[in-house]
Amino acid sequence: MSFRIAKTAFKNISRNMRRSILSGTAIAVASMSIVALFALIGGMSQDMKNNLRNFYTGDVRVRNKDYEEYERFNPVHLTVNINKAGEAISKIDGIESWVPRVSFPSSIYIDGSTFSAIGTGVDLERERNYFDLDSIVVAGRLPERGKKEMIMGAVLARNLHLELGDKITFQTMTADRSTNAITLKITGLAAFPVASLNSKYFWMPLDRAQDFLNMPGEAQEILVKTSHNIKPLLAAEKLSAALSSSGTELEVKQLEDISMMFGLIRMAETVYNIIGIFFFLLGSTVIINTTMMVIFERMREIGTLSALGMHGRELVKLFLLEGTFISAIGAAVGVAAGILLVAYLSKTGIDFTDAMSGMEFEMSSILYPKLNAGKTIFVYFYAVAIACLATLIPSRKASKIQPVEALRYI
Amino acid sequence: MIKIDKVIKNYQNGETEVKALRGVSLEIQKGEFTSIAGPSGSGKTTLLNLIGCIDKLDLGEISIKGEKVSSMNKKEKTSFRRQNLGFIFQTYNLIPVLSAYENVAFVLSLLDVSEKDVHTRTMNVLKEVGLEGMEDRKPAKLSGGQQQRVAIARALVKDPEIVLADEPTANLDSTTGEDILKLMKSMNEKLGTTFIFSTHDPMVMDYAGRIVLLHDGLIKSDKNRR
Repeated sequence: MSFRIAKTAFKNISRNMRRSILSGTAIAVASMSIVALFALIGGMSQDMKNNLRNFYTGDVRVRNKDYEEYERFNPVHLTVNINKAGEAISKIDGIESWVPRVSFPSSIYIDGSTFSAIGTGVDLERERNYFDLDSIVVAGRLPERGKKEMIMGAVLARNLHLELGDKITFQTMTADRSTNAITLKITGLAAFPVASLNSKYFWMPLDRAQDFLNMPGEAQEILVKTSHNIKPLLAAEKLSAALSSSGTELEVKQLEDISMMFGLIRMAETVYNIIGIFFFLLGSTVIINTTMMVIFERMREIGTLSALGMHGRELVKLFLLEGTFISAIGAAVGVAAGILLVAYLSKTGIDFTDAMSGMEFEMSSILYPKLNAGKTIFVYFYAVAIACLATLIPSRKASKIQPVEALRYI
Repeated sequence: MIKIDKVIKNYQNGETEVKALRGVSLEIQKGEFTSIAGPSGSGKTTLLNLIGCIDKLDLGEISIKGEKVSSMNKKEKTSFRRQNLGFIFQTYNLIPVLSAYENVAFVLSLLDVSEKDVHTRTMNVLKEVGLEGMEDRKPAKLSGGQQQRVAIARALVKDPEIVLADEPTANLDSTTGEDILKLMKSMNEKLGTTFIFSTHDPMVMDYAGRIVLLHDGLIKSDKNRR
């Protein structure tokens, strides 16, 4: 019985193919848009997380406990002892890698003009284990340990009209609050994924930075990456306990507690979920309209089926299945199109360089949407469910029509 | 078999109340081939609809096979129709996306009939009505007469005790109409199914074993022609 109703419902789709296609297209467009939107948000979220992990916070960040309070004054002297912190980190299971970093604002004098840039001292060997360091090099090479070399953000170099091989003198305030200067040779140009890093930063060997800033064996912060089998929060707690037991009072924070942007992305995900619901509701109005028209057109048939002994619930099933088939096909096409679109964009990327120029944002200027299988499956079933619910309203109405009234319909 | 007792049915046509049936009483026995005749507006379709349990009466009582169908609720009436009644409509009312076979089989699938029996019974009844070899044709590919044959097959396939036909030949030319009446008559004789059909066509009345003539919602005459 159910099979024959389903078969009839399926055949009914072809009665007015153009209208069925229109309804299916509405669902398809909604599904495709949401799949693409979720993938974009997923890509943004992943991208931001990667950038935060690689360049700003790690999964867990260790700093001097007073650093945050005085951060606006550039407290280079509030440091972390790399060896002590390293010992504590080595006691925690599930730590993937860690890097010490030193950041300092500096002034550059070129042809009588002053420019500013931010230097970062990095342990090149550790950085290689920490992330794909070589991927940021777009020209030349990375600086070498112990040498007065640097790799400069490509945009900063372009703005300052500097080239590979140029030597630049930087001036800054050291850890003992004196002034020092250093001349570094540009050995490479970097394309950091984040626009602000490209236009403001240069990286130099950690040992040279420590000498320059008078802070041997010290770093401003240590960024820690955890493996998948330990949550950053737990790692942070364990690390904090290990540091305390060794008599070192440091601030240990996990990524999500550091970056406000991460919370904003989460909020954006919620907002986009709500937008998704409205998209589907909009698509469903087409389905409601179609079903109402179908019922109006087939009034005599409803009367006939009812006269032949078809119960109201069976009539509901007939029209519900018809709507379900259209939405199932439409959602499948839409989700497939969304997957293809995302697959294409995840290779080419979406360039937001112009839109993000001048923005202090830990997000890459080229975004790569990232498909989430769970969410994609959810979109499919959600689209079908919403469309079914939309069909249910007019279908129930059809089931309540008196057969004699329906048969009189012209 | 069918007992209609002092049935009154009024309905609204705009602001006017139409007295469709004004106290009709009638008994129809099993196996009769009865024509409800009368001019337009005499109440024949209303009477047929009430017997067919697809309309509600205002006063009176209708019993079929001893069951008071007039006091059944909508669900009970639907179940009763499903089991006991077959319908033939003036405009055939076939489902256009289904083939002749599927239109007929659909009725059986509403009952607890196995797929194998559905096939056997559908093929048999289509053969009976002369549509062998046309099972796969959609209604649009059939002539009016052939479509009405499918409708007859659809009405008969579940072996109902009563078949109700509302002006079954009104949309057909006279030769095809006669063929359809002959078919209905032969089924009536062969299967013993009670046929009740409405008409205002004297040629159709000629085939009836009994003619109940309605006029202004009342029975004007009731002639048994056997």
